[in-house]
Amino acid sequence: MNTLIIVVLATVVIYLAYNFYARRIDRDIIRSDPKKATPAKMYMDGVDFMPTSRNVLYGYHFKSIAAAGPIVGPITAANLWGWAPALAWLLIGVSFIGWVSDYSAIMVAVRNDGNSLSAISHKLIAPRTRTILFSFIFFYLLLVAGAFMGIMSSLLAARPDVPLGIIMLGVMGVLAGQMLYKWKMDLIVVTAIVVVVTIVAMVLGPLGAVTPEGKLDFTLGPISSVVVGFNKAVDSLTGGNAVMVVTDPTNADPRVPAPGADGKRPTTAIYNADTGEIKTMPSYLFWALFLLAFSYLAATLPIWRFAQPVNYIGFWITLLTIGFSAIGAVLAPFIKPEVGAFALEAFKAQPWLPEAGKAWQPLWPMLFVTIACGSISGWHALIGSIGTARQLEYETDGLPVGGGAMFTENTLALLALVAVSIAGTGGGAGRFAAGVGSLLTVVFGDGFKLFGTALGFGAFMVIVLTVTQLIFRVMRVTLSEWVGEAVPVLKNMHVSTVTSMVLTMLLVLTGTWVYLWQLFGAANQLMAALSLLIVTVWLREQKRNPSYALYPTLFMYITTLAATLVTARNLFVTIVPKGGAAAAGAWAMIVIALLLFVTALVIGWDGYQAYQRYAKGGPAKQAAAAAD
Amino acid sequence: MSQDTPSTPKKSFFQNLKEIMYGMASHDMSRYALRTRASMEHLFILITMGDMIGIPILPPYYSLRLLPYVVPQISTWKRRLLREKDVSDAMF
Repeated sequence: MNTLIIVVLATVVIYLAYNFYARRIDRDIIRSDPKKATPAKMYMDGVDFMPTSRNVLYGYHFKSIAAAGPIVGPITAANLWGWAPALAWLLIGVSFIGWVSDYSAIMVAVRNDGNSLSAISHKLIAPRTRTILFSFIFFYLLLVAGAFMGIMSSLLAARPDVPLGIIMLGVMGVLAGQMLYKWKMDLIVVTAIVVVVTIVAMVLGPLGAVTPEGKLDFTLGPISSVVVGFNKAVDSLTGGNAVMVVTDPTNADPRVPAPGADGKRPTTAIYNADTGEIKTMPSYLFWALFLLAFSYLAATLPIWRFAQPVNYIGFWITLLTIGFSAIGAVLAPFIKPEVGAFALEAFKAQPWLPEAGKAWQPLWPMLFVTIACGSISGWHALIGSIGTARQLEYETDGLPVGGGAMFTENTLALLALVAVSIAGTGGGAGRFAAGVGSLLTVVFGDGFKLFGTALGFGAFMVIVLTVTQLIFRVMRVTLSEWVGEAVPVLKNMHVSTVTSMVLTMLLVLTGTWVYLWQLFGAANQLMAALSLLIVTVWLREQKRNPSYALYPTLFMYITTLAATLVTARNLFVTIVPKGGAAAAGAWAMIVIALLLFVTALVIGWDGYQAYQRYAKGGPAKQAAAAAD
Repeated sequence: MSQDTPSTPKKSFFQNLKEIMYGMASHDMSRYALRTRASMEHLFILITMGDMIGIPILPPYYSLRLLPYVVPQISTWKRRLLREKDVSDAMF
């Protein structure tokens, strides 16, 4: 297998799915009509409701949905089950479920006066559905923040060549906001300055950190050695002892060293190869606090001052890294076949039955929640129904915007899978970065390998960090708006932000992030199942054939319910017996998993009843709800 | 697309690409800026024209003096102010 085959396969599958399936649904089931007035036209207010060119909207929707999910998910899945199952789920999932969710959520919102999915569920299914959906959203945000914080803290602590680029990203973010909005400088000039400076800082991280034999040694580089010294100084605060100990059965944590020539992982200062235990050192805590401070600024400062410019810089860095990597992936089989060849195995056997005291990762249902955003994601439906649906100029733009953006995101996930698969060794993020580094050598030459890998790490961090900072902002708003009435102190943005961060850190410090990621994946996919459920009920209410949404709903619903239980079981057998703070964290996550499970059952029951009611030609439950 | 959009002029490849890049890089920033401006404007209209929705803040004399300057904004203001919202609207 090589990269060219993946490129050809993906092109063919996406072409067929878009032209022969998606267009047919758009034409025959949804019946999009360019002459129908959209909410953007009917309720135009120049801000939220605003007819927008479909090209602009496609870019906007893609940027809104493409975050760390399509990259982290395939990396984790390839580590656990090999690249072949991940590839199959990415292509089949997006063709029959992913685009359905994104596109349909937008169209349902368009046909319901631009209301969000939560408002539509209140009207179509039951009032409590909306409340449950909000609780889903909050826990979802909490879990994704926890998963991302865990990944980033590990990376910053393990790779001394990465922090400089991230610190510079924050500095350039503040500078960009100042230059754009206060000094009124030209956008292109500002972009050129801040993006170039940030990329140079990322690339220079490993400068000089190579021994004459060509081995990486961070104590040698002028930049990385400063970070190494700083980490050592912080670790000396506890006399070099760990704050706590965690385990990572997937070995995806960047603190887990890559296997040596004998295929075994060596024991290091923070990793015990015999027990699989990873020490959480004070430097890890420091970098976690650094990230929290970064996110705090983003969550509480005016959005133009920090969060938005940081995201803007992050976008260009990601685009350039991913774009050049994609070019490398296409050219590799012709120019450097050794780069384009897959080093990761196609299949990794995982036991189908649980073993006592061990984590259980069966292909079904765990693969389908581990890879979320590249195949299907509930987050997309939520964003699409609120942001994109209100700007759609013509109904017929719904498919190229919603479906098109989802298929494009799928290609991003495939690229992440390719990068990981050709790298072969190292942890999850390490594989991605090494893969990007290899692909960039196709474009920039062999000498760029070291810097390309650093850029891969930097881009990975940027993608995850820009999402995390916004998640804390959204969590802050959600807490204030949702719980603020009952607990008035949460209306204070500093209190709600700190509350969100404390909850997140509880999850980060006490569990291994792969469980957090899978629980986040389960919450995300359950939200996807619920958005599909709303679409199905709406189709039934409209007397249209709901099959294209009904079967994906059933599959996602059953799969993610099962995945939630498996994750809770894994937490129970692997972390709870350790006792202490880790067990407390595991119990917290088990409780969240069970809450998600129960609330999903309630929504499923309400959805079933609503479906039956509309099947019999009954009215919306809104009137009945109003009487409650 | 199943049906053509009406009266949409053909755009060149680079025009399309420019729009997509704008959508990815800057559309969100423009929306935030617009939203901030609209919030300030709408707050101003609420203070000066609150009578129209039953919230008398400013004496009607001054409201009438300001009315000609506010007229172009009134329809969108009422639409935005009176639209039913839920928590998810505040998130994004």
